[in-house]
Amino acid sequence: MRQSRLLPDMTPRHREAFVGYLFILPTYIGFIIFILYPLIESMRISFHDFSLLRGSVFIGLDNYAQMFADPRLRITYVNTIIFTLFAVFFNAGIGLILAVMLNRRLPILMRNLYRSIFFFPVLIAHTYIAVIWRFLYQQDTGVINYYLGILGIEAIPWLSNAAWAMAAIIILDVWKNTGFAMLVFLAGLQSIPNEYYEAAQLDGANERQLFFRITIPLLSPTIFFILVIFMIGALQVFDTIIVLTAGGPGDATRSVVLYIYEIAFRTFNMGYAAAVSMTLFAIILVLTALQFWISRRWVHYE
Amino acid sequence: MATIESAAPGQALSAKRKRKKSISAGDIFSYAILTAAAILVLMPLLWMFSTSLRPTSESFQLPPAWLPTEFRLENYLAPFESSVPFVDLFINSMRITVAVTLGQLISCSLAGYAFARLRFPGRDLLFLLLLASLMVPGQVTIIPIFLLMRDLGLIDNPLAIILPGLISAFGVFLMRQFFKQMPQELFDAARVDGAGHIRSFMQIALPLAGPAMATLGIITFNATWNAYFLPLIFLNSWHKMTLPQGIALLTGYMGSGNPSVVMAAVTMAILPVLIVFLIAQRWIIEALTRSGLKG
Repeated sequence: MRQSRLLPDMTPRHREAFVGYLFILPTYIGFIIFILYPLIESMRISFHDFSLLRGSVFIGLDNYAQMFADPRLRITYVNTIIFTLFAVFFNAGIGLILAVMLNRRLPILMRNLYRSIFFFPVLIAHTYIAVIWRFLYQQDTGVINYYLGILGIEAIPWLSNAAWAMAAIIILDVWKNTGFAMLVFLAGLQSIPNEYYEAAQLDGANERQLFFRITIPLLSPTIFFILVIFMIGALQVFDTIIVLTAGGPGDATRSVVLYIYEIAFRTFNMGYAAAVSMTLFAIILVLTALQFWISRRWVHYE
Repeated sequence: MATIESAAPGQALSAKRKRKKSISAGDIFSYAILTAAAILVLMPLLWMFSTSLRPTSESFQLPPAWLPTEFRLENYLAPFESSVPFVDLFINSMRITVAVTLGQLISCSLAGYAFARLRFPGRDLLFLLLLASLMVPGQVTIIPIFLLMRDLGLIDNPLAIILPGLISAFGVFLMRQFFKQMPQELFDAARVDGAGHIRSFMQIALPLAGPAMATLGIITFNATWNAYFLPLIFLNSWHKMTLPQGIALLTGYMGSGNPSVVMAAVTMAILPVLIVFLIAQRWIIEALTRSGLKG
């Protein structure tokens, strides 16, 4: 073996380790500066009265205590949870229905065409979609109310009524993201071995039984994965809301992340914002751990 | 490819298929639902496009004309001529997106290769630590990053967005999976020929990593092109902003007064995504499916 010109004095094992560290160096520098350090620093800031205007004072758990007395935080958490429950339910539910239908005997061209159409909105920025839908949702001039009007439904105040504004955000989210659930479900469906269905059909199972006794149980790891991924994403909803309703009317659609953003960068109360962000982090951590734990159990199970 | 795909899907009902080939009521029902869903997905995009070509005075026309009735291309010129520096926005977005994508391709392929094929003390622990960072949402780290950028004088500077974007734990994971699957014989042969680790990487691993690099490149390009949170925090003057920021403000500025122009701007902003999607659809779908299934 030829001696490396670069590292002439090292043993091959040391050389391999050296190159290894060299190769991960750029990633690790970035990781330390932009993830690890900010995470620790954020925890530290959460124990401070940390304001860009007033400076920083250690206040222990005061920021965390303040959260319990903050009615707006409670509202934003309730909003976020309502949004998350509905968005996850409809994204996963409609995604699953579309995937099951696409998995029937369709000409390959049709399947690919439908799949592409359903998936395309996933790639478009939330911002642009919110800009488009803001016009569609207009009460008097919007396209949606026009067609509802033809059906005899009175014009809906999509963006100016608290409940409807939340519905508008959920509908937009499902329109944009259900294609991703569809894609993952379709892949999951296609990985179920055909023999199971054939065996069950020989035993006289009908289509309904096939779906509930074979498809759903075998798809359950995928279903669970989608639920958790969508939950984590929905808990962080921000782009759509800031463009579509800016949290309004009132606080009706303000999400936790939008609230964090406003505390940190509008009122510059960064200590409190950091503390609130820690609660969100804790929730996401628990969800991720849960998914990891359950998916391991599942792998074990098979 | 075609044979593989046509064999795999629809197999659920292949046993049935042997027995009867006629179209059942269930098939018609599926087609109806799928077509209705496809129409619902396409309508907002169609409205965007047809509105972008309509004269401003008719942009609120009801019933909406779904197909363009006129071709007012001046709507597409208007964003460039308005007080909004549309060209700058486009260039800013492109510059940030290209820098981040190139940076990630380099940093992730290097680290992915090291974690997959090189042995060094602490390797698995370092990889696990990196992977764990996927759980940290961006909102948790943003305040210290903001303070850091402020101290570095990088507020209102694209570097504030580019620098944190140069690395990606997801990208390292993706590249590592790919490099792990490469046959060991390739590298053994190179060793016999006297290639060092760096040469093995450059001349053997990298040339074969095209599909993985394309996948990572496309995912990163799209995510960065669409990013809104970071630019919103760091870029605040018109000439530094990115396209999503500019278009969100455009709506606010021109308000409901000029949807045609706003829709023309949105159409132009979506165009790069559409082009990339049409070219690389198969890769994107496969990659996202795979990353999704692996969790």
